[in-house]
Amino acid sequence: MKRKGLLFYLKLYCKILAQDLKSKMSYRADFIISTIGMIFTNIAGFVSFWILFRNFSTINGWGYYEMLFLYGFSLVSLTPAQCFFDNNWSLRQYVYSGDFIKYCFRPINLFFYYQSEVFDIKGLGQLAFGLGTIIYSWIKLGLGFTPLMLIKMIVFLITASLVMIALQTAAAATCFWIHNSFFVLDLAFRFKDYAKYPITIFSSVFRFIFTFIMPIAFIAYYPSLVILRPDEVPLLSWLSPLFGIAFFYIAYRIWMYGAMKYNGTGS
Amino acid sequence: MNLKKYLSLTRAGIMESLQFRMSTVIIFVGNLLYLIVVYFLWKAIYASSGQEVVNGMTFSDTLIYLVLATALFNFMEMYAVWEIGRAIQSGKIVLDLIKPMKYRTYLFWSYSGSFVVNFFATLFPTFIVVCFVTHGAIPLGLNLLYFVISVVLAVMINYNIDFFVGTICLYTESIWGINIMKQVIVLLLSGATIPIAFFPETIRNIVYYLPFQSIYNAPLTLLLGKSPELKDTAIVIGTQLIWFLITYAISRLFWKISLPQITVNGG
Repeated sequence: MKRKGLLFYLKLYCKILAQDLKSKMSYRADFIISTIGMIFTNIAGFVSFWILFRNFSTINGWGYYEMLFLYGFSLVSLTPAQCFFDNNWSLRQYVYSGDFIKYCFRPINLFFYYQSEVFDIKGLGQLAFGLGTIIYSWIKLGLGFTPLMLIKMIVFLITASLVMIALQTAAAATCFWIHNSFFVLDLAFRFKDYAKYPITIFSSVFRFIFTFIMPIAFIAYYPSLVILRPDEVPLLSWLSPLFGIAFFYIAYRIWMYGAMKYNGTGS
Repeated sequence: MNLKKYLSLTRAGIMESLQFRMSTVIIFVGNLLYLIVVYFLWKAIYASSGQEVVNGMTFSDTLIYLVLATALFNFMEMYAVWEIGRAIQSGKIVLDLIKPMKYRTYLFWSYSGSFVVNFFATLFPTFIVVCFVTHGAIPLGLNLLYFVISVVLAVMINYNIDFFVGTICLYTESIWGINIMKQVIVLLLSGATIPIAFFPETIRNIVYYLPFQSIYNAPLTLLLGKSPELKDTAIVIGTQLIWFLITYAISRLFWKISLPQITVNGG
């Protein structure tokens, strides 16, 4: 069989996306409420920083606007996981009911086909809020602006987003082995809340854990240092794109391994 | 009143909760991680402020408050909004409505089993650990009795709010969005994420007039109160009682008005 090219998959994605949006449009109220709910959670995060910094001027050498920058960075880099990989949340039910088998009979990449089926629009509200937060804190911090910074920003945002995608995909894949995997996924989803804190507040043991075992430090902290503190960028920051790709590849392999092992339920 | 039929629901709930031991372990790990993050975050905050006491709370006060708030959250969270929303969407609600018991009573008692399990699995152990680790930061006296009364009221206020929000699902067909909004508002305004003592004064005054602080802040204040005066205790519990009656009346009335609206497709 001929290997399908990138262009083929891109075209296919647009077609599937159009179908998905059509079906979403029939639940317009749900879409509006979900988007508002999403923005609500983001505002709550913003407000809790605001309250904290009313009482304290810095946290571990990090000012209010620097923390906001981290927060905005984490929101934007979480968006792709939210928008494109939301079907991970349903994987458990498909596997349990046996419906997952329908994905196994298509002559295209299984992982691609499964994830392409759902596009979560409410993630766009988060993207807008995150971008707004980044721009606001960027201006307040007076970081300056060069085209190179913009390119760096885009590259690091994309690779940072791979980390969250990897965490969520690996967590979802556990359903191939254990039954009630909702809680594993929920646990991974809660990690995103911890990504907005600078890793330097933790003791060295947890710094290690949050860098290499549960790599939440790569969602916002390491990549955003490149823009935020350009004079003291640690090596791990420059390596973070590689880590993003590596984590994603490992998660993809785990997911595919589970899917290939899948036997169906016989129905 | 025939208590036996309610207690049989409690028993079924206990057995159901014990079926999912794996999820309990994962929830435990998740909470532990959350508490580790909270610990380091507040440690860094207090270290960089250079003060021992901020807004009348020391580091250990804040930590105990947040640890117990998390334990309370796990004890009380019933996901009733999801339960009602799903029952409406799937049509299962028809079967629940023809039971010889009011729906809101049925739902509450079917959760009572998980209260029992959660009490012994999370709240009680957390309490014991906090007692030992802090060497008596929690005074052991009459305040324990007040705390228990206060928690019972908090559970019922929380249930009323959940039931009210669940009823909204009758109109919107959206569960996720409604639930996330409720969760964000309750967690932020009840002082479960940041103790209310840290809020700026105007906001703090507003928050005290809202029902949410009766859920987490009220019982924790009573438990950690250094020198509980009978008058203060009476005010806290009285406020909770008033909020219980108000939320009960509103959520009951709303359900009564909304029930004729139900349309179930198939089911």
